[in-house]
Order: sequence, then C-alpha cells, then structure tokens
Amino acid sequence: MAQTQAFETDFWKDANLRKVWDDIVPGEPRKTIPYTLTKEAIELYCKSVGEDHPIYFDEAYAKTTRYGGLIAPPSIHILLMFSCTPADDWMRSPGTVNAGQSWSYNIPARPNDVVTLQARALDKFIKRERLFVVHDNVFFNQKGDVICSGRGWTIRPM
Amino acid sequence: MATTFEKLRAGDAIDGPAFAVSRESIRLFCDASLDYNPLHLDDEYMKGSFGKTNFGGIIMHGMNNFGLISRMITDWAYPAGAIHRRLETRWVKPVRPGDTIQPTGIIKAKQVTEKSRWVLIDVVVKNQTGEKVATGEALVEFPRDLFCQ
Repeated sequence: MAQTQAFETDFWKDANLRKVWDDIVPGEPRKTIPYTLTKEAIELYCKSVGEDHPIYFDEAYAKTTRYGGLIAPPSIHILLMFSCTPADDWMRSPGTVNAGQSWSYNIPARPNDVVTLQARALDKFIKRERLFVVHDNVFFNQKGDVICSGRGWTIRPM
Repeated sequence: MATTFEKLRAGDAIDGPAFAVSRESIRLFCDASLDYNPLHLDDEYMKGSFGKTNFGGIIMHGMNNFGLISRMITDWAYPAGAIHRRLETRWVKPVRPGDTIQPTGIIKAKQVTEKSRWVLIDVVVKNQTGEKVATGEALVEFPRDLFCQ
C-alpha cells in the first residue's frame, strides 16, 4: 500500500524533466524500480476490468489448479509498467498515445512477487507526421524467472 | 462446457463480456493501472489537439481494451486447462464515456508443435454501434498434460 501512496499521480509534475522523442536513444536501458505486487493491487486491477475468476481471489480454489495458489491475471503487466518505472520515465509524458501492444506470457505473477523490469526503447520513427517510439519490456519475478515480455508502440506528444 | 483442442474448428466463436465505459470506470482503471495520463481524466487538456488528432474529450485507456480481451481469453481457456500465451492488439478508434464495448474471438487456426498444441484466435472489440475499436490476435496453448479446472 505504501508503494501506491508514494506514487505521483500528477503526470504534469516535473514533465519537463522527461525525455522527448528527440532525446530517446533506441537501445538505451530505461531506469526501473523493483515492485512488490500485493494481493490488494491484483484485486483492484481485477475490479477495473471485471475479472472475477476465483483463481485470482480464492486461495482454496487456486490451490486445486495447475498453479497451486493465487495468481494475477496475465494482463497485470499493465500495472507493472507504471509501478516498475520512476516518475521521470517518458511513458508518463502527458499526451503519450498508445498505438498498440504485443505481449507473451511465460509464468503468472503472484501476490507478494517482487517484480523487476528490464526495458528500453527499441526503435523510433516518423510516420504520417507523427513521432513513434517502440518500447521493449521484460518482467521478472524474485527468482529471475520471466513473467512476461512485450513490445508497445506509442505516439509521442509534440 | 469446456472446449477441447480436438473439438475446436476454424470459425468457432468466443463471446467476451460487455463492458460499460464511464468516467468512473476510466478513473478506476487509472487507480488500478497507475496510468494517470491526462488523456483519461483532464477535460480541459482534451479540448486541445495532439499533432493532427483531436479526441474531443477524455478517452478510455487503450489497455483497458487489452485487459478486457485478456479476460475473455482466460475465462475461455482456464476451464479447458489451456494457457493464454500471447496477445497482440491495435487500437482502431477511441472509446469514450457512455460507450459499451464487447470483445469477441474467432478461432483462426490450430497448430501442433513438437511439444505442445496451439490455437490462434482473431480478436475484435466493437462498440455499441458495431464499430471496431480494437483488433488483434491471441495465442492459447493446450498442453498435452491438460490440467482442467
């Protein structure tokens, strides 16, 4: 919970400190921070998209499944992208438009996992007068196992 | 009843959940995803233009579509003992408060590899007027050691 309270929700704050399209160097690692994924954060994410499968909420049920305990939905990386990056990360720049994403899932994230992220811009280009950046991300659990990996296309604010 | 890899045919449909989009649902997604981009909560900001685009008001997170599609895939896969392995999406149209969106899937192909079995699914999200707001493709694994739930 402390992590959520510390999160800066005003994306305008220090917006001038974030890299613009010109500054972003494809291949250069982004700064990331470890994040402890709580049961409460998983439940809030589930509520926001209407996830109601017991494998996310019911410990007794979850123990009977192939996963042997509670897991997070695969799409929890939507939360992890912001929880594992600092306030000056360019993904927070107001006006960033998401154009599309692709994600591959290896093993599920679980409550109390300490999740780390390796991320970078992979490419940047101009198309129809819009400034695009392709970003590349891999999330790991505390054992070093890959949870999921993904790529996204964003249109940068001008 | 849960599906099986053997029974699946190209063209089989998967119905996803209808989702009513409101200012409150968008705000909840901000809190759940920690994505507080003003595109999703700042009416004044959204009166402006973004390069060549003017949205005319706040819009839902594209990743809310993604989460809804993923929910459809897992709710379909879990009872069959199958595993959601991949999802690729493109956003086609913005979604606004007052819209109702619904994902659907169509089985595109099945493939058997050396160690497992796979199903490719075309996915689409439409709004209440039948317009496509997102499209994509999902990949689901049906392991040979099925563990049905």
